[in-house]
Amino acid sequence: MNFFDLNAWLGVWPFRSLRDNTPQTLLARLQRAGIKAAAVSQIEAALHRNVQPANEKLAEAVEPFEKQLFPMATINPRFPGWEEHLRRCHEVLGMKGVRLFPVYHDFAADGIEARRVVGACAERGLIVVMPHRLEDARQRHWMDPGQTLDLNQVANLIEAVPGVTIAVTNARGIMGSALWQRQELRKKNWFFDLSLAEVHYVLHKDVNRMRELADFIDEGGADHLVFGTHTPFSYPSAARVKAAVLPVEPETLKKICWGRANQLMRLGMPE
Amino acid sequence: MVELDIEEWLRYPKIDMHCHVWNLANEKEEQVSSEQLILAGEMLGITEFWCSSPIIGGLIASVEAVREENDTILRAIKRHPQHIRGMCFVIPGHYQMALDEINRCLDSGMIGIKLYNQYRINDPAVFPVIELAIERKVPILEHAGYLHAREDLDSQPLISHGEHFAEVSARYPEAMLIHAHIGGGGDWEHTVSAMRHGSPNLYCDVSGSNLDDGQVEWAVAEMGAESVLFGTDGTMTGSVGKVIDATLTEEDKSLIFWKNAERILAAQGARPTQPREVVG
Repeated sequence: MNFFDLNAWLGVWPFRSLRDNTPQTLLARLQRAGIKAAAVSQIEAALHRNVQPANEKLAEAVEPFEKQLFPMATINPRFPGWEEHLRRCHEVLGMKGVRLFPVYHDFAADGIEARRVVGACAERGLIVVMPHRLEDARQRHWMDPGQTLDLNQVANLIEAVPGVTIAVTNARGIMGSALWQRQELRKKNWFFDLSLAEVHYVLHKDVNRMRELADFIDEGGADHLVFGTHTPFSYPSAARVKAAVLPVEPETLKKICWGRANQLMRLGMPE
Repeated sequence: MVELDIEEWLRYPKIDMHCHVWNLANEKEEQVSSEQLILAGEMLGITEFWCSSPIIGGLIASVEAVREENDTILRAIKRHPQHIRGMCFVIPGHYQMALDEINRCLDSGMIGIKLYNQYRINDPAVFPVIELAIERKVPILEHAGYLHAREDLDSQPLISHGEHFAEVSARYPEAMLIHAHIGGGGDWEHTVSAMRHGSPNLYCDVSGSNLDDGQVEWAVAEMGAESVLFGTDGTMTGSVGKVIDATLTEEDKSLIFWKNAERILAAQGARPTQPREVVG
């Protein structure tokens, strides 16, 4: 089975030294975990006001790996000229999606800035990826806001912007999130990755809530799952273990682990 | 780089020395919960779980309430003797009654002691518990983490971290002390490094929802592979995945997944519920 990682990164996180954060070392690390290709963006762009230099650097870095590492633009909708950043990343640099950081770029995920940039992505057919967290807030450096993405706001955003495709990465608590609990959103194009969620058991005193992804799948959520690892922040094989015990049919598993990202990013890569 | 064989590693035998079953509304629910735990473990090669049911939030609960939690564990052991073992939760400030409760639980088949965040591990109120643990040759697993954000410390002002463990380890080098869940939140680099000069009986476990790359290797580098234990604290696939993925030797992973826990059991004359060669 092939694996495509929708949730990988290059570059530097200022609060902890990351290994395997260059194109060559990241690829080697992913391949060790049996992962063939990945979508990547530049970590430090989440902390830059003007993100475009980091996007340019990313495009240059992954150019020699065009069949394996697919760049995703970081867009800061509060910075003047973000529309031009988006245009250039898409049309000139060939980026296949956009990552947004409401916590780090200080905008509400359902506010006007988010709606504008997500609407512009929808017009271009670009998937928008929003990490629920970059690092566990309980270890946050004092300079890190250390807040998680508000999933109620993400649900509002999905409802407000027609045609949007959004993936939330590195999240837990999928079943209880507004994206799933709001029935009217269940047919929309939103996705969670496998990087942090558990599958058959979590600690919960409600016996009806102790199976996380397994319950989600039982209730029809498999179409909202996509493979992602959060490497090099996290261990890539953790997501492989989740995929190995995911209670879905082989064809569905193939979609989750390879086909879905391929389709969402319009990569046209063979199985 | 050689590709990891994930399926093969899932079959590798594992002892989860940090897990929980809860005191639920009725025994039926407790059974459903523990059966689901065991089922999930079987998919990952986990053959036994060392479980406790601690009272959390720093609450100084009554002796009776503590006993109820431990009775939950004893029921789970009785239901699933091949899979569930017990860690007796006590609140050290109950002093003699805490010691009595430990003896009751150990005499009923539990294999260790669980402390939460009512007292730091280096608080003198905990010393009688540690001395009893030494006498009974059982481990103490204490909830821990190096928290520094105000909001986290406000909710857990007496949480222990590596510096507290190092201090107690120096005072009681023969005590088997386990710093819980280095992936359970907090600065894992800090808390692990603080224990680098601890006695050979000072351990940490890798459990917790934080799957930061390098965490397991850091613990091995700072404390030695003989001092790192596999646990999940309910983060089952994540904890299995982080050890599988760690850039360590197979022997190191074997120590973490099994042999270190086996050695802790051997100190009290106990063995894993299922022999490794049978499940492996």
